[in-house]
Amino acid sequence: MVNTRGQLYTIEGVAAALIILASAYVVVNATSIYTPGDTHISDMQLEVLGSDALVMMNTAPNSTAESPLQTIVEKSDGITFGQMYNNIVNNRTETGQDSIQFMANVSYVKSDEKTVNSTTLLNMTRALVGGEHAVHVSQWVLAKNRYPDSDSLRNRTVLVEVFLWRD
Amino acid sequence: MAGLNDNAQWIVLMGFLVSFSLFFIAIILNQSVMVGQTTAEAVSEFPKYDIRGIRSVIIESSTAGMPDSLNVQNDIHVLSLNRQNSVVNFSTTTNGGYTYIQIHYNNGVTAYNETWRSP
Repeated sequence: MVNTRGQLYTIEGVAAALIILASAYVVVNATSIYTPGDTHISDMQLEVLGSDALVMMNTAPNSTAESPLQTIVEKSDGITFGQMYNNIVNNRTETGQDSIQFMANVSYVKSDEKTVNSTTLLNMTRALVGGEHAVHVSQWVLAKNRYPDSDSLRNRTVLVEVFLWRD
Repeated sequence: MAGLNDNAQWIVLMGFLVSFSLFFIAIILNQSVMVGQTTAEAVSEFPKYDIRGIRSVIIESSTAGMPDSLNVQNDIHVLSLNRQNSVVNFSTTTNGGYTYIQIHYNNGVTAYNETWRSP
């Protein structure tokens, strides 16, 4: 250094440069702040997917026919449910399948008209052991035949409940 | 400092300005966390699919002329209370050739009321 003048200006220049760098860093990062709320977004996506799949399955091809889900519930046909639901939720436009797991139950009112039995397993890809972060979706089904076969014989409204999670 | 000399007053002023700006930016960043949290919670707690489902099943069970409709409607009451934590009440009236269904849904956070008229 030739002389000792202008030191404060140098310090100010360094400080200004640091501030500019810090501001640029904050601005660039502002678009990708991961807030705690964002963890819900993947849940919402799963919920939409699972609900839409159930609605699709509960849509009848015409006004007189039964929907596939109705037939499945009336016949307790867990195999067809598993194949159909798995195809819908795990289908991708790319090659290869997605890895969404599910467990589906049917809840129905028992013959005493008060208590609910919700343990009837429809199908699952893997047992729910407790570590999964699962979302819950459900779909009402009017079962025009009795359900289940062993209980009182009448038409019923049952609730198909599905837990969905990603590995 | 003012007593010593008059130099570098702009530098000190800018220093204040920048430090205050950083302080406010920090507050805004802090707030954005809470905003994301509450917005996402409000969206995911709203029982959109439950309401859609209960609405469609009530209308379907009331208009299809299906047998055992009283039992079927009892199923809806019991199941929604047990499995969806919601009180559902509905009644059907006929007036002037139309069927009207009053649907009431309440899960403690969200209440939904509707009078549906048959087309």
